[in-house]
Amino acid sequence: MNSVESVQRPPATSRRSEAAEPIGAATQARRPSSNLYWLPVATLVVGLLVTLALVLVSHSQYVSNEKRLINLRARDAAALLAESLPSTTSTMAAAVEQANFTDGSVARFKRLVGPEVGTKSGQFLSLSLWKLGALNKGPVAVVGTQPKLVTTHGNATALLAAAGRKPVLNVIGLLQPPDLRLGYAYANSTESGGYVVYGERPLPANRRSRLQGTSQFAGLDYAIFLGGKQTPRSLLVTNLAHLPLPSPSYAQTVPYGNTSLTLAMSSRAPLAGSLPKNLPWISAVLGIVLTIAAAIVTLRLVQRRRRAEDLAGRLEVTANENERLYAEQRGIAQTLQHALLPDTLPQLPGIQASARYEAGEEGVDIGGDWYDVIDLDGGRLLLVVGDVSGRGLRAATTMAELRYAIRAYAAQDDGPAEILTKISRLVSVAESGQLATVLCATIDTAERRLSLTSAGHLPPLLLANGDSHYLHAEVGLPIGVEEGTVYQSTTVTVPPEATVVAFTDGLVERRGESIDQGLDRLRTAATGQNVGLPELLGGLVRDMASGGAEDDIAIVGVRWTS
Amino acid sequence: MDELEGQPEQLISFDVVVDGNSHATVSIDGELDMSGIDPLAARVDEVLGNGVTSLTVDVGGVRFADSSAIALWVRWASAVDEFELREPPPLLRRVIGAMGLAEKLGATS
Repeated sequence: MNSVESVQRPPATSRRSEAAEPIGAATQARRPSSNLYWLPVATLVVGLLVTLALVLVSHSQYVSNEKRLINLRARDAAALLAESLPSTTSTMAAAVEQANFTDGSVARFKRLVGPEVGTKSGQFLSLSLWKLGALNKGPVAVVGTQPKLVTTHGNATALLAAAGRKPVLNVIGLLQPPDLRLGYAYANSTESGGYVVYGERPLPANRRSRLQGTSQFAGLDYAIFLGGKQTPRSLLVTNLAHLPLPSPSYAQTVPYGNTSLTLAMSSRAPLAGSLPKNLPWISAVLGIVLTIAAAIVTLRLVQRRRRAEDLAGRLEVTANENERLYAEQRGIAQTLQHALLPDTLPQLPGIQASARYEAGEEGVDIGGDWYDVIDLDGGRLLLVVGDVSGRGLRAATTMAELRYAIRAYAAQDDGPAEILTKISRLVSVAESGQLATVLCATIDTAERRLSLTSAGHLPPLLLANGDSHYLHAEVGLPIGVEEGTVYQSTTVTVPPEATVVAFTDGLVERRGESIDQGLDRLRTAATGQNVGLPELLGGLVRDMASGGAEDDIAIVGVRWTS
Repeated sequence: MDELEGQPEQLISFDVVVDGNSHATVSIDGELDMSGIDPLAARVDEVLGNGVTSLTVDVGGVRFADSSAIALWVRWASAVDEFELREPPPLLRRVIGAMGLAEKLGATS
């Protein structure tokens, strides 16, 4: 609530300068959001690092797992190879025993080993019986082909002699193409009279072999070498046309007679299935896709946040602008209202006049309430308070018209009843939808006599001798209902130092409350107040409007000072 | 700021029924002030333009009426041959009486 007196331009301009600050504040509030663009980049970097770590971990898991599995397979396969040795040993050991026992019976030797020699798989190509101590004389007996050892190894007899010194199977690689063989020598005596049996078995031509029939070699590439080294010269068999084995390959060495076999393997397909092998790739692709998606989502969120902040900033600016416009409009309305109301009130000897105007809480519009105190002839006053229905410029212009018409008729020395009858022609509810309630009172200051006429207006309050009551006059129709309405005047005489307060309904009217309750509250508030007239009116407005008056309030009072 | 945000809550409801050759009944409920009377005024002007010469305005459900609303009723009362303001609540009757309009508005109980 701003009183008329305080309505000046400065409040509006000060609001304007206040409104400028939040605009700057909004700009500042928006600035940090641009820094958030590091977020998508960070998301990208972190996501790619996590992806890389996942790829490395899953790859190393894959490699170590494959290594473990192929080692298991290699061990199985090597065991299978090693198992073939006892049958070779037992055949030769039996022949050696028989030869030692029969002192080298050729016939018995041939009969014993005959079934073991041939061209079938597992058979010896050649088995021969040699007498230790007489090795240089050649074999005692030969079954099958002539031993190749004799033709390819110059020191064949030394090899056989060495075999005689230990009761283990001596394995001799005869690995010169095209006729690839393994030689086996076995003896169980170092005595000069003992015998050694020597046999040769073929290797597959080109050292190529397919052992896939056994489950231990299924799905594997392999190469078997004689001895501990993987050299082309020591290669026994492989399933590949060309060495080396595909990487990664794994080797297992198993004892084989007096030497060893090296079994090298690599798997053609991942042993643990394709998922572990592909997992690094799957991780990489998924990780990159998810990282990019996350970065995009983050970017979107950052952009959305920025847009929201922009919007919030703009809304704030708009709100501030609205507030400024509201304040400005309210200021204009109140300034105009002020201009339509009297600047000063006449002050005659022995009587004081004062007035206030309060815009209602919704007061962006100018209102239709007014008051006036007119000096008629130096001894009499015309007190006027009125209220045009509605708000806005239409109400205000009707109000101004009525106010100046009353002044004009008052100048013609018309009484209040005549004045109201005359101005009843100026307003027509049928044409404009407007009504006006008006209270007119001529006051004879010396006689303390009031002549009251009411056109539908609330009665004035009389305060005298610490008591108060309303001055009820006959209430006529409001201005605008019927043209030429005849009004009655009611004359009262008031005590010395009395105060008469007239007002518009905004002072006493509340939603959900009887107008009588409002009138009672006003009377209670006014009774016993021992203050100056302006302070009294101000206090009444403040008390009655506490909690927020909806409507405009005009209040005018006169007080006899003697 | 609060005054600027949104329209005031619609506190009024009304019903206009032309229930006779030239008679209409207007039923109004709620709080009636200048911010909400335009649709009501427009609707009644419409039926008045269609030859209605007798108007009954039932204001039994009106909790509050400002001077604009009362001016509207006075305008209707001036525009028809027969006008009745039916069942005004006591608060409203008191305001109408204070404005010297009881007779004009034919405020019956």
